[in-house]
Amino acid sequence: MNTLTAELKVKIIDILNLQDLSPENFDENDRLVGGALGIDSIDVLEMVVMVEKDYGVVINSQEVGEKIFSSLASLAEYIKENTPGSSS
Amino acid sequence: MGKRVYIAGLGIISPLGEGLAATEEALRDNRSAIRPLDLFPLLHGEPLPTGQVRGLAEQSDLPRTHRLAHNAALQAMASCSTPPDLIDAIILGNTTGGILTTEALLRAKASNKELYRYHGLNSVAEYLAQELGCRGMALTVSTACSSGAVAIAMALEMLRSGQAKTVLAGGVDSLCRLTYFGFHSLQLVDRQGCHPLDADRHGMAVAEGAAMLLLTTEKPDHPLAELLGAGLSCDAYHPAAPHPEGRGALMAMRTALADAGLNPTEISYISLHGTGTPENDLAEAKAVNTLFAAPPPLSSIKGATGHSLAASGAIEAVVATIAVAKDFLPANTGCQNPDPALGLTPLRQPTTQRTTAVLSNSFGFGGNNGCLVITKPDRFSPPTPRRDKAGLAIHGYSCLTGAGNTAATMSLLAQGLPFAGTADLGSISANLPPNLVRRLKRLPRMTLSLALSAHQDSGFEAKPAAVFMGTGWGALSETHDFLTRLADSGEQFPSPTDFVGSVHNGPAGQTAILFGATGANITTSGGDYSFEQALFAANLMMEEGQENALVLGADEGHQVLSPLLDPSIAPGTLLADGGGAFCLSRQKEGAHCLVRLPFYQSSATEGCVDSLIAALGGVQALQGKYAILLAGIPAAAREEGEEQLARFIAQAGLQAPVIRYREFTGEFASAAAVAAVMAVSFLTSGKVPGPFVSGDDLALEGNKNAILVLGLGRYLSAMEFSRP
Repeated sequence: MNTLTAELKVKIIDILNLQDLSPENFDENDRLVGGALGIDSIDVLEMVVMVEKDYGVVINSQEVGEKIFSSLASLAEYIKENTPGSSS
Repeated sequence: MGKRVYIAGLGIISPLGEGLAATEEALRDNRSAIRPLDLFPLLHGEPLPTGQVRGLAEQSDLPRTHRLAHNAALQAMASCSTPPDLIDAIILGNTTGGILTTEALLRAKASNKELYRYHGLNSVAEYLAQELGCRGMALTVSTACSSGAVAIAMALEMLRSGQAKTVLAGGVDSLCRLTYFGFHSLQLVDRQGCHPLDADRHGMAVAEGAAMLLLTTEKPDHPLAELLGAGLSCDAYHPAAPHPEGRGALMAMRTALADAGLNPTEISYISLHGTGTPENDLAEAKAVNTLFAAPPPLSSIKGATGHSLAASGAIEAVVATIAVAKDFLPANTGCQNPDPALGLTPLRQPTTQRTTAVLSNSFGFGGNNGCLVITKPDRFSPPTPRRDKAGLAIHGYSCLTGAGNTAATMSLLAQGLPFAGTADLGSISANLPPNLVRRLKRLPRMTLSLALSAHQDSGFEAKPAAVFMGTGWGALSETHDFLTRLADSGEQFPSPTDFVGSVHNGPAGQTAILFGATGANITTSGGDYSFEQALFAANLMMEEGQENALVLGADEGHQVLSPLLDPSIAPGTLLADGGGAFCLSRQKEGAHCLVRLPFYQSSATEGCVDSLIAALGGVQALQGKYAILLAGIPAAAREEGEEQLARFIAQAGLQAPVIRYREFTGEFASAAAVAAVMAVSFLTSGKVPGPFVSGDDLALEGNKNAILVLGLGRYLSAMEFSRP
């Protein structure tokens, strides 16, 4: 597991107040939005703000958002690909 | 024959202009008034398109919301050919109060609480009452974007039931940072303006304005229109998004038509809510297409005005009145290519066409929906007269206080000890699953906890169908956190979660979701009389057929905001909060007790204590009935409150013990809800505990077994609790 994924787990648990979850049992490939965690559109927007604030990556369209936030792994991938100054 | 309710006068100020003529002219020109914001400076980026009122007269220290409402109210009074001597009540929909002013004060770290005196939502309606000399109730409805329509629906019910002859009702909101950045954080704002129903629509334009309707059952010489029906509902689905199939929208439209006694075919025009967000317009279109086999001409004016939130329902009621008065239908401004997915054909051009009946839709956060039917006067059959509804009976109750839950509170009460304070977050939400409340801060947690406990105490299997909630200050934690993060992040990263949670009706909306309560969902905000207003709303709007409903009053004590905003919290005052909840029905059988609100009037009225005594049945009845008086005197109104109380006791010759309940609850706006719980618990146990009255146990038996709870200060209110 890379640093970004580990970092995102901590941040998401914190900002969404997912009390039942610890970074250890947070599977980055599990369904994030609409899954067992009860994460919905408002949470997505809260994560959008966090991603922009902490990583400088802007996610604007809600349709794109749904795909990006399908799992934590896909979010990490998107951030990596779109981080300003990243080579990919 | 039922009472007809006429629209006798109108006032409107919106981005389209000031007054009926300017409004009509802008609509006939199919002109959009949406422009980039310049009301307040922004730290970053291009200003978003908004619907801003231009040329509003500046006036010393009054917040913009108050000035907008006052402007519209004066117009409404002046436009009536025979203005009434007396307005019996004012009902105002409002979500922003003086927040635009408060935002600036908080940023300047102003600590003089006098400067915050116009923050509260209730201060707008009370200001109007003072300026217009209205001595009756000044009721504030805060159901987000349906507030204006819900206020008008409540006025209709007051008038029809004979509780009032003339009511001034409407809605107001001013632009402010909270709504400007809040809706943007939800990605609900279209950067290209607002294009309702367009295939290429991307959201709303936040706006402002005010509209007031002078409604009366006394037929004016030239009534502008008739308010024939109204319907309320709640999606009970999501705090911010509409039900995808438009379930609540459909129910509200259906209820409004049934209330008016009209078939869908008799509607000549639908004034759509049509905000321009992809979700709202789709959900609304589905509901319209379900109800109407062939929908009549329809349009949303929000492409011209933007979405003025609590004002929009009232502004659109004025536009509906223009439609029936002038046989004129406004266009769906801003819609170039109607979205084929909606299956609707909005009016592309302003149209002159005979218009007898208009259905006007308003939907809002919390899934709060309100629809109105406005027609040509006397064109349709009058409403069928209704039999009087049975009174309200309390079947379940609960409270939260500084001591914790009901049991902990009652245990201190039995020892005659105060329980003021703020219980920790864990104990106020001990009965709530963590996943349900992970996004919720203090007020919504208290509300859900209270609601669950009260319903459980009732023993009812059926879930509550309707929710009536009173809160003086709303969700202060969310409001504070939103504004703080907004300022701290240089206006870049406000929290969408806090914005959704900051609306006054958020807690009642959460309660509706929890129970699937799809009936009326009304949040009132009447300062220290917020709970009394919720009780009033419940008695007015709870339907006979509904098995049970919830009435709540709650406020949170916030370290930073409460001492600034609540005039009763002086330096050194213990921060206190809490609330009470009741599960009610109109069936007496098996009830703990009965409750009614026989009196609510401005204390500035001459002879108001005499009126109070008369409303309680006169001196003799009063002396023989009440075993104890619980008096609510907010610290900020101590002098006048004590004076009123002394006068009441002397004039009524009351011998019963008098307890000042804020000595037990502490100072918070909805403390009356906890006083109500005290009263109900005494009646349930059959006695008032001795230590509470510094004497022996007081048995509640014989004829003298009722409890009176008075609210004193700016207004005089009376709640009566008695045996079934």
